[in-house]
Amino acid sequence: MIVTERKPFDKIVSVSRWLIFGVVALVINLPILSTVMTSFKKTGDINTSPPVFLFEPTLKHYAEVLGSGRTDFPSYILNSLVIGTGGSLIAILVSFPAAYAIVRHGVGRSWLLPLVTNIRTLPLIIYAIPIYLMYQLVGLLDSWTGMILISATISIPVALVFFVGFMQDLPLDLDEAGKLDGASQSDILWKIIFPLSRPILVAVLFLSFITSWNEFLFGLILTTKVAVPVTVGATFFVTSYGIKWGATAAAMTLGILPPLVLGMFAYPYIGKSMLSGAVKG
Amino acid sequence: MSSQIKNCYRGRAVRPLKPQDWCDRLMNLREQERKSARIFLVGMCAFLALILGFPTIANIWFSFNDVTFHNLTGEGYSGLANYREALSNPKLWEALGYSLKFGVICTVFEVGFALLLVFILHPLLLRRPWLTAIIMMPMMVSPALMGVMYRLVLNEFVGIVPGYLDMIGVTMNFLSLKHIQFTVIAIEVLQWTPFAFLILLTARQSLPYDLEEAAAVDGATGMRLNIMVVLPLITPAIIIVSFIRFIDSFRVFDHIFVLTGGGPGNSTTSLSIYIYKLFFKQNDLGPAVALSMTLLIASLALLYFGLKLAVRRNDR
Repeated sequence: MIVTERKPFDKIVSVSRWLIFGVVALVINLPILSTVMTSFKKTGDINTSPPVFLFEPTLKHYAEVLGSGRTDFPSYILNSLVIGTGGSLIAILVSFPAAYAIVRHGVGRSWLLPLVTNIRTLPLIIYAIPIYLMYQLVGLLDSWTGMILISATISIPVALVFFVGFMQDLPLDLDEAGKLDGASQSDILWKIIFPLSRPILVAVLFLSFITSWNEFLFGLILTTKVAVPVTVGATFFVTSYGIKWGATAAAMTLGILPPLVLGMFAYPYIGKSMLSGAVKG
Repeated sequence: MSSQIKNCYRGRAVRPLKPQDWCDRLMNLREQERKSARIFLVGMCAFLALILGFPTIANIWFSFNDVTFHNLTGEGYSGLANYREALSNPKLWEALGYSLKFGVICTVFEVGFALLLVFILHPLLLRRPWLTAIIMMPMMVSPALMGVMYRLVLNEFVGIVPGYLDMIGVTMNFLSLKHIQFTVIAIEVLQWTPFAFLILLTARQSLPYDLEEAAAVDGATGMRLNIMVVLPLITPAIIIVSFIRFIDSFRVFDHIFVLTGGGPGNSTTSLSIYIYKLFFKQNDLGPAVALSMTLLIASLALLYFGLKLAVRRNDR
């Protein structure tokens, strides 16, 4: 009897949950939705008040942003791609063996792991100035190499935390079986554990790519022309294209698209990694 | 025959060992393995020493010298002059105060909203996990681009938000002097509440279902379950996420820089923006270097004590 009485109430609760979800999703994603929409609107449609939802889409703004030689935007995208990929690969290459040594042999667990994970919590501006001065001395300002090194540095803490968490759950029997067959430590690492870590490697690759793609401060400080990443390049648009909202919106959309797409694959890992890192690190 | 096999390894005959010997051998092997495993740390240590260690040492040296852009080797030892100049500037304390205020307000709102959302949305997301991805979208976007997009959305003439508010008779310029403080905080909260939400949701979902059943038997359902049972159990996650969010908000740079550049006046100048302006706009190298050193030491000290506290909590 009680059950049937509760049913309509449950329905109301469920509907209001959906409603709250819808409102929250709309509010927090409003700038993204609005920008994407604006990027497809004709210039005339952008300025109408109240804003219109139904309009004839146009690709004019994208052509303007990506079109031959009119803006530097394609090169900004290329820069971000190179910097993100290079940095992520270096971060993985450096932190994967380190995680192996920490988890399987306990080397550096007491000092290196907390040290590296805490880099993430330092205000980046602390390092902006010394790195700028160092780059000026060695001539790495405004270069791909310089930005790749920065991107790797930023990604290393995340990568290390992920790998440590993953390897802790990997059964030790694998190592021992390898050892019995006469595998050396580096064989165990690269021939047994590395292939097994494929899912986590992809997740780390995606996440560190997102982190470096979204990085702004170092891009602003260390680049001027040649190696400008998308985040910094897109802000040039606002000042130099102040009134061209359509082109700006198209540039924004292109700038947020890669991390959004990759994020859709990598998001289940984020929560877990943050918690495990904070608890174990 | 069988003992022969036991004492053979890859065809070589091995002298039978006493248990004590075995123990020693094993320990030696472990020790050797540990030692040779150090080589796997070399890459990371060398990399970090090069990119972070070397500049830090150079920075210490710079901070005690009279440096300019034209003379990076320094004109000579100047003692604590840089530090004195950096710390005596009242604008520094204003910026520090702003960063602290910004960090605390944003953290409180983000964690509060996230907690509320976890209570409300957990049953919904348990059945449809993919919905979480929609809530996660803002945190995938670069804060700098988020700032630019809000500039578009909140623009007086083409922005969608003022456009609709106009329709219901509210005229508000979010980017004006009067409202900019609110806007800057609101953007940070809107972008990073999803992060706090995701972490608290993960903590909530890792609670065993038995617990809810047991609580239901005792008569705790709905909000009572959340407050009496769930809240105490996810408190560690709340502490962690508050800590992370505070640190991230405290060092805020990107979206404020893009939106206001620290202005109008210095009203939205956070500590990060202050140091940036000192170095790149006013060319005050010495004080800027000294300031970043001070900030480094302060953060390390804070982290050290924070970690100690966390370790003690875990031990208990």
